Amino acid sequence: MYLYFSLALTVCAGIGFGYGLYRFFRDESALYVRMIIFSIGSAMLGRLFETLQFLVNGQIESGFQVGMLGTVGSFMFLFSANFGQMDSIVDDHSPRFRKTRIISLAAPLLTALFWVVIVAAKGLNATTIPLGIETIFIAQASYFHLKHLIIEDVEYGLIKAIRGYNLIALIYVLLCMLEMLVKSFALPSFCIIIVYILQCLVMLAFVPVLERGVKKWTT
Amino acid sequence: MDNLTYIVFISLTVSLGLMLPLMEKKTRRIGIFMIVGIFSCLFISEINSILLKSFDNDLYRVTTTVTPVTEEIIKLLPILYYAIVISDDRRTLVTSAFAVGVGFALQENIVILTQNVENVTIFWALVRGFGSGLVHGICTVMVGWGISYIKKRRKLFYCGTFALLSTAIIYHAIYNLLVQSKYQYIGVLLPILTYIPLILIVRPKLKKRKIALSADSNKSE
Repeated sequence: MYLYFSLALTVCAGIGFGYGLYRFFRDESALYVRMIIFSIGSAMLGRLFETLQFLVNGQIESGFQVGMLGTVGSFMFLFSANFGQMDSIVDDHSPRFRKTRIISLAAPLLTALFWVVIVAAKGLNATTIPLGIETIFIAQASYFHLKHLIIEDVEYGLIKAIRGYNLIALIYVLLCMLEMLVKSFALPSFCIIIVYILQCLVMLAFVPVLERGVKKWTT
Repeated sequence: MDNLTYIVFISLTVSLGLMLPLMEKKTRRIGIFMIVGIFSCLFISEINSILLKSFDNDLYRVTTTVTPVTEEIIKLLPILYYAIVISDDRRTLVTSAFAVGVGFALQENIVILTQNVENVTIFWALVRGFGSGLVHGICTVMVGWGISYIKKRRKLFYCGTFALLSTAIIYHAIYNLLVQSKYQYIGVLLPILTYIPLILIVRPKLKKRKIALSADSNKSE
């Protein structure tokens, strides 16, 4: 079952990535957008590796496996785009946004909580430690997505236009953490199915939602 | 017989090194980066052999999980150094990165050839040439090309480089996984299918740039 879900995710991420390349790489688009497209590309490669491991070995290696770097790279690209490009535009580090910054910490804390639940049940071992490392990268990206979702817009609708995208990214964060839970515990199969189907939908929705927001920047 | 890896390294780098003083500046840079790539391969082969022992000589596990990580990190270092200290010009970084990858693949291929000299065939040469030769080049180019975009902003640079490195590692691991399985033909096709669109996209852009540059120089004359 995991093989088919992994394959479906690879295909959906591939479609998202291909569409992103087609829409944003023909002309000089913003680096922020390009990094988000690369994030989906990284997720696609990670899923492809996992699919191939299923095909070749019949299972995914326990503990660290290279496919995890797909998720890590994906969130690192999202984090770079927000931290390196967008955040300095929308937050001038004035006390005005202090409340927003504090509230935004809820996202990484909640993300970390998922991992704490896994560790509480399974203990610290060769499987949960790599998951913890993955969680760090997911958590740091989630902070900026929540922040950019709730922050007051002062730059002519710049951040308001991409709130939909930030919401999708937060859902992606939640689904990645849910996937960890599903894989760690023997949850009913419908939970697994729902998580994977939603992940496929998020992969497909990422670029169109971003595109709709980015269009508003120029109109 | 002395260690073959070192024999190959010396014979390749000495001849390339002696050619460097006669080269023009641009081609010399390519030559230097090829030698750096060859040295990177020599260096990492020692590290990888230590890692192989620590993984109970499980060659499959090491080549699909460990060596893509170590090799990509070591190939990244000269490009990173060049981007930080000397130049972050996109074209220079891309060609230098490809030279590092090709140098790395050259040393690796010759070492594997000498170790399996009785079993190698023309097909093997094609697989190694088009497969691993291109994979090493593409992975390093991926990172070098990305660095040229993100180098300008410090905040982007650190996290972006890590993200690019992760992507290169997975690509390399996918190739290693495929060529050791019954899907090895797909493994060989993977780098070729990546390389051809890359060339189709990059070549017209380079031509455009060349035309624009020559038009500028004509205007200034």
